[in-house]
Amino acid sequence: MTAHRPRDGRLPAEDRRLRDLHDSTRSNIMASTPSEYVTLVSCDGFEFILPRSAACVSGTIRRMLDPSSKFSEALTGRCVLETLTGIVLEKVCEYLLYNEKHKDQANVPDMDIPPELCLELLMAADYLDT
Amino acid sequence: MDNEVPLPPPRRLRHRSPARATPSASGSVASTFRKSRRFSRFDDRSSQPSSDPALFSSDDIPASGVENYNAPVTGAGRKRRYRGTWWGEQVQDPKRKRADFKEKRNVDSGVWMGSDESAAESVLTSEDSPNWGEDLLKTVLDPRASGKNPVGLPLTAGSGPTPAPTRPIVVNGNGESEEHRFARKLVNDCLEKGEESIDLGNLNMRTIPRDMLQSLQHLTKLPSLREPPISENAYFSLQPFLRIYLPNNSLMTLPRELFELKDLRVLSLRNNKLTSIPCTIRDLTALQVLNLSVNRLTHLPWELLALLQKGELKHFTPRPNPFPPIEDAEIVEWHRQSSEGQDDKTNDEDYDDEENYEEGIEERPQKPITFTTYDGSPPEDAWTAIHVATGPTTLYNMDGKPMEDTLSSRQAKLQQISSTNAPSLRELSLRALWKLPGLDYITEEEKLEFPSLVIPLLDLAQGVRADGGWYCSVCQREFVSRRAEWVEWWDCTPHENGMKRPRSSGEKLRPLPFKRYGCSWACVPEPQRVE
Repeated sequence: MTAHRPRDGRLPAEDRRLRDLHDSTRSNIMASTPSEYVTLVSCDGFEFILPRSAACVSGTIRRMLDPSSKFSEALTGRCVLETLTGIVLEKVCEYLLYNEKHKDQANVPDMDIPPELCLELLMAADYLDT
Repeated sequence: MDNEVPLPPPRRLRHRSPARATPSASGSVASTFRKSRRFSRFDDRSSQPSSDPALFSSDDIPASGVENYNAPVTGAGRKRRYRGTWWGEQVQDPKRKRADFKEKRNVDSGVWMGSDESAAESVLTSEDSPNWGEDLLKTVLDPRASGKNPVGLPLTAGSGPTPAPTRPIVVNGNGESEEHRFARKLVNDCLEKGEESIDLGNLNMRTIPRDMLQSLQHLTKLPSLREPPISENAYFSLQPFLRIYLPNNSLMTLPRELFELKDLRVLSLRNNKLTSIPCTIRDLTALQVLNLSVNRLTHLPWELLALLQKGELKHFTPRPNPFPPIEDAEIVEWHRQSSEGQDDKTNDEDYDDEENYEEGIEERPQKPITFTTYDGSPPEDAWTAIHVATGPTTLYNMDGKPMEDTLSSRQAKLQQISSTNAPSLRELSLRALWKLPGLDYITEEEKLEFPSLVIPLLDLAQGVRADGGWYCSVCQREFVSRRAEWVEWWDCTPHENGMKRPRSSGEKLRPLPFKRYGCSWACVPEPQRVE
């Protein structure tokens, strides 16, 4: 049994096909989960669509979108953030992508933050747990 | 009479009839009057007959102060500039003119003007006389002895560690305490005379007003020669050899302006109440003598080491201070053993980060750590600072609370180290926040109006600002909330004795704790091997 399995743990071809079949049926049942993009909505109705991986930098959004949580956000992929205005959320989205981009970089440049948004972003950072 | 005066011609009327071309003098004045009144009616729609607003050529700049220089121009209240004759008036395009002017205008004019006190009569009789210090002391004591101080401060000359008298700070009309006023006078005197040695000792100051030392950046020595010098040696540098003495005060914090004095060579803070030295001390690259004795320091900033190693700092007096002895401190890694046991440690030990944690605190050397024994001429490292040991690293979470060193947090830590280098959004906004110029002026009352969750962060940012910025000791970037801190133990005995002699053979090392901060969980001490 173990003799023909490669050392790196790859499954034999037949097993792999079975697993793919299983995955596809599962994704048919939960049609919302595989979406690669999520939508963040501000309280004044601005919508920002960004990659799920970037959005999940924020702990709060990650928990909202966790498929096992059965929150409506997880099913629809749409998070309404009632506490954030469009202006703040735009900056937050910029940050999320900035974090995603510089995750593995050694020398990360500082993101530019306009002074008038400092305090609101501090509040947003606390809410979003980033 | 007014009705008889001919009305002005319509606009852009090129030809003039000779009768109207030469109106009488009084008529011309009256018609100008009328004309301008007509315009004022156009401008502000109030039909109230009132006297004309005065018209000045500079009036198109509303409140021409620097602070609202870039403020948007409100159209209603603004007057227009007229050029040319009153009948064929041309309104200049004010926007274009302003834009041109804005480019030319430099906001900081670079002109420094001394405060009002600088004109006060000098206190010092003669700074060249040998008993200058006594004169100074006398003048220090004078204002209090003459009864200006209603409380009557018991101050003895040259007193050692005196307990701070609990007295209310005497405040004069300018809202400044007497000590500060006097210190300011001394500073201004030195500034005026080009005196490069500033003695602010025994003044019982608790704080240093931040604008007091700033002007010392511009201190220039005055050439003392009255006639042209004969030899080349008579020329000397006018670059000041700035010395600031602040002994026997009650300072608890130091203003950041002190660390902006690039020319500062000698700094004495002996016998104060300092609990920490800000890391901005790294900016005093010219510093040669530093006295920190008799304070309340439990650790030193790691940035001082750079001054000891690469800078000019030769006389460093850190003791006595309540530093914890290394024998009692928790040590994770020893970089130097007592000279005999040094070698066998190196070979068989694999310094893996994980392993280090598993085994906990490393075995403590039994004997006191000593310098290598040598014969003949001292080796090179007998002169330099030696890294003896490294203490455990404390990690902080995003809220600035120390992480409990549980297994899960350690895993999270290792995961964090490998995953993210980007600062958190909170950190980024704090970094932007502490640079705001208005931050100093937020009072405690105003702070209460902010959301409660922001207040501790504001305090933090203000603290950083008071220190003049914190720098990560690993990646050298500015940060606000520290995420890691650890203590490194270094021995700098040669610097403590003024670089007069190297370490002797087998001398016992007396390491000092230097505290390092990291801006992220990626900035933690590298496991180093004993060499």
